Amino acid sequence: MPTSAAEYDRQPWTKHYGDDIAKQLPPQRHTHLAGLIRDCEQRFAGQIAFTTCMPNGMHGSLTYAQVAKHSDAFAVYLRECVGLAAGARVAVQTPNCLAYPVVAFGVLKAGCVLVNTNPLYTPTEMEHQFRDSGAEALVIVDMFANKLEHVLPKTGIKQVIVCQVPQFFPLVPRALIRAVMKIWNRVLPPIGIAHVLLKQALAQGERAKQAKGIDVAAYTASAGRDALAALQYTGGTTGVSKGAMLSHGNLLSNLDQALAMGRARIADGGECVLTALPLYHIFAFQFNLLCFFSCGARNVLAPSPRPIGNLQRAFENYPLTWVSGVNTLFNALLNEEWFTAFPPRHLKAAVAGGAALQSAVAQRWERVTGTRIAEGYGLTEASPVVSFNPLTGLQKPDSIGIPVPGTEVRLVDDAGQPAALGQPGELTVRGPQVMAGYWQRAEETAAMIRDGWLHTGDIAVMDAEGYFRIVDRKKDMVLVSGFNVYPNEIEEVIAQMDEVLEVGVIGVPDAKSGEALRAYVVPQAEGLTEEAVRAHCRKHLTDYKLPKGIEIRRELPKTPIGKILRKELRAEYARAGAA
Amino acid sequence: MLTELETRLLGVLMMVIMLGMGASLTFKDFRIAFRKPQGILVGLLCQYGIMPLLGYLMAVLIGLPPAVAVGLLLMGCMPGGTTSNIFTYFSKGTLALSIMMTVCSTMVAVLMVPLLLAFYGGLMKVPSEYVIPAANVAQVLVVLLVPTVIGIALRKWNPNVGAVIEMVGALLGVFVILFLIGSWVPRNWSLLMTTASPVYLAAIGLGILGMLLGYFLSRGLKQDKRRARTIALETGIQNGPLAVLIVTLTFTGTMQQQVLLIPVLYSLFIVITSSAVTVWFRGITTREEIARDQAKVPAAPAPAPA
Repeated sequence: MPTSAAEYDRQPWTKHYGDDIAKQLPPQRHTHLAGLIRDCEQRFAGQIAFTTCMPNGMHGSLTYAQVAKHSDAFAVYLRECVGLAAGARVAVQTPNCLAYPVVAFGVLKAGCVLVNTNPLYTPTEMEHQFRDSGAEALVIVDMFANKLEHVLPKTGIKQVIVCQVPQFFPLVPRALIRAVMKIWNRVLPPIGIAHVLLKQALAQGERAKQAKGIDVAAYTASAGRDALAALQYTGGTTGVSKGAMLSHGNLLSNLDQALAMGRARIADGGECVLTALPLYHIFAFQFNLLCFFSCGARNVLAPSPRPIGNLQRAFENYPLTWVSGVNTLFNALLNEEWFTAFPPRHLKAAVAGGAALQSAVAQRWERVTGTRIAEGYGLTEASPVVSFNPLTGLQKPDSIGIPVPGTEVRLVDDAGQPAALGQPGELTVRGPQVMAGYWQRAEETAAMIRDGWLHTGDIAVMDAEGYFRIVDRKKDMVLVSGFNVYPNEIEEVIAQMDEVLEVGVIGVPDAKSGEALRAYVVPQAEGLTEEAVRAHCRKHLTDYKLPKGIEIRRELPKTPIGKILRKELRAEYARAGAA
Repeated sequence: MLTELETRLLGVLMMVIMLGMGASLTFKDFRIAFRKPQGILVGLLCQYGIMPLLGYLMAVLIGLPPAVAVGLLLMGCMPGGTTSNIFTYFSKGTLALSIMMTVCSTMVAVLMVPLLLAFYGGLMKVPSEYVIPAANVAQVLVVLLVPTVIGIALRKWNPNVGAVIEMVGALLGVFVILFLIGSWVPRNWSLLMTTASPVYLAAIGLGILGMLLGYFLSRGLKQDKRRARTIALETGIQNGPLAVLIVTLTFTGTMQQQVLLIPVLYSLFIVITSSAVTVWFRGITTREEIARDQAKVPAAPAPAPA
């Protein structure tokens, strides 16, 4: 077939950018995130930057000027009081709260490297991430600080800073929230290790800044676009969590790329965005935190979106114009009467990522709110945005949309040759947002990035208009008697059953067929049998696509944002076989 | 019985509690309650259909002495009590619906209570002339509505203030419920010891049966489970203090003592039953929330929202 890279390189998607999306990215005004942050803090000084909204409506806010003051103080604290050098890694482990932006921006302003850490990690996972990144300081929320006791001595962390969920709240609500957390929920265990409270750290930093007359901008004055901004840990393909090295240039470029897709519907200083996804995850970090801060938006942070009723006050009390979420979040909102009876009136658009958006959810959302959910695609290694459905013009269901400006995408086969148009191939990406590599893992980096092309491990198909559709993960593809089977297809079929809540399908070794399919099914209610699932599959799938093993179980292993971890299921199966 | 001072104090506490209840609501919650106005109508049907009939049937079937039976009938004909709103709040029911039902049943009380009493009193061949203190009924409305509206307004003005008031109201609500249980039992010990078991059956049964019938009638009339639980609590919980007041205004001497028996016992036991039911309902609502959180959006087109 005469296909070549040219099919992809002529970038058929650019004609769908229309008038709303700039084909060329604007020239970069900043070389460092600290510069952008400082710029916005001055431009929007008096406006509210962040509001944390608790499930009962208690809230605290910081203006852009307050964010500037506190994050400057934190930068000074890290450099002068803890004694960190530029490039030192600082881990941050907290749910969404006002402390997060202050601390994260402080780390960036200090010229240090941000290591986002999931607060729900086990001590083992924490130890791996802190040791691997070589973190020298850690900001952790008080709820989980007790996990540090045995972890800390095995790491290089010199200073622990403890923050609170109601940090920066007015006195009375803060005291009440903490009393409820301590007495009623019992989630504030005593902290047995040496630490400093964030409040004290900020005061120390502020004093040092005054005493020494420090210009915080000087910390990052000489840093270039290639300077490391964040180590963003990801499971990746091999299982061991690796730190994707995201430079300031990566994050700034991707910020412009993501913004380009929505720019037509974003008014500087006029937006209000709901952040229900965790900021330690790259999607919310880039999209909610960086993009909307750069537009002077008010960011409403929800510490926990589950159960979904926790978001009711946020929707009632703030004129939300943008919402980001994953399929499960939109799904849950659409099941609430308070949401469907009075959908947010000011909403302009919603953005979905992380996992595939179901078309039933997307359609119902559009009918209820009158706005679209634009589905996008990205990965940690690409800071993360690769593609998005445009907000106006052609939007295709079940598609991840078109590549964002300045991004090259090719689908390739195993030999690295471009796949024919309409044929599945591995999605590879080249662009300014692609990471420099994995932290101290040259081998994995070389496997992932070849000739500047990031190999995502996702199998996709491009149509004639340049829209992409994800077929499945490459490594999840199962070879049954010589046939390629994509687990997604089987999962979709099984998920159609009303009795099924969710399902994960993997391939396992099989003496007869080489590999065989195995389905793990979580029922919606009691009473679902393997036989019923089998019968349903037989009705909709050809023989070689039928799962050989079916297991009914109560839950599936998932990532923090709700993606089913097939890797875990495979490991579990292997363990069971070995035992 | 409570002393004058305690009654006043309870009145004030009640207003603070309703302020807190109001602070947990928005005007939208009332609009949601009105989106399905059948809920309020079903509630009224339960309130003035089921409960008086239940009072009458129980009085006849249990074979209570006439004076005591009058007390039971009267209790059945009362409008919804204000405490139902506190229990609905704690059971995570539809609070706006509960408040609207209390308001509606209280508003029509001046008309409905004498009518029902005359009707069933005639059937039972007991005196059916009662003094209905319209001013006190109006007072119930004021104590209920004014703080609720102020609470809603405060919450709208500043969610922090609203949330703090809600917490204070909820805490006071628990305190009042515990106080009622804890102080009434020892105080009325001799009464409790000398009361015959049929009277107990009537005083406790009225509330429980009312809730049961209220729930199933609402379900039968297509109310969702959460609304049905709200209506159940609202139906079972009557305005005990109003009944007591009507008795003291209407009767004197030993007659008064006997008629008062059921309203007093009912008022005590309904707090205990409602507390238990509330804990149970709260568990159910929580489980439903979790299930809904995970439920799939139906693939078939759902009706567009109004």
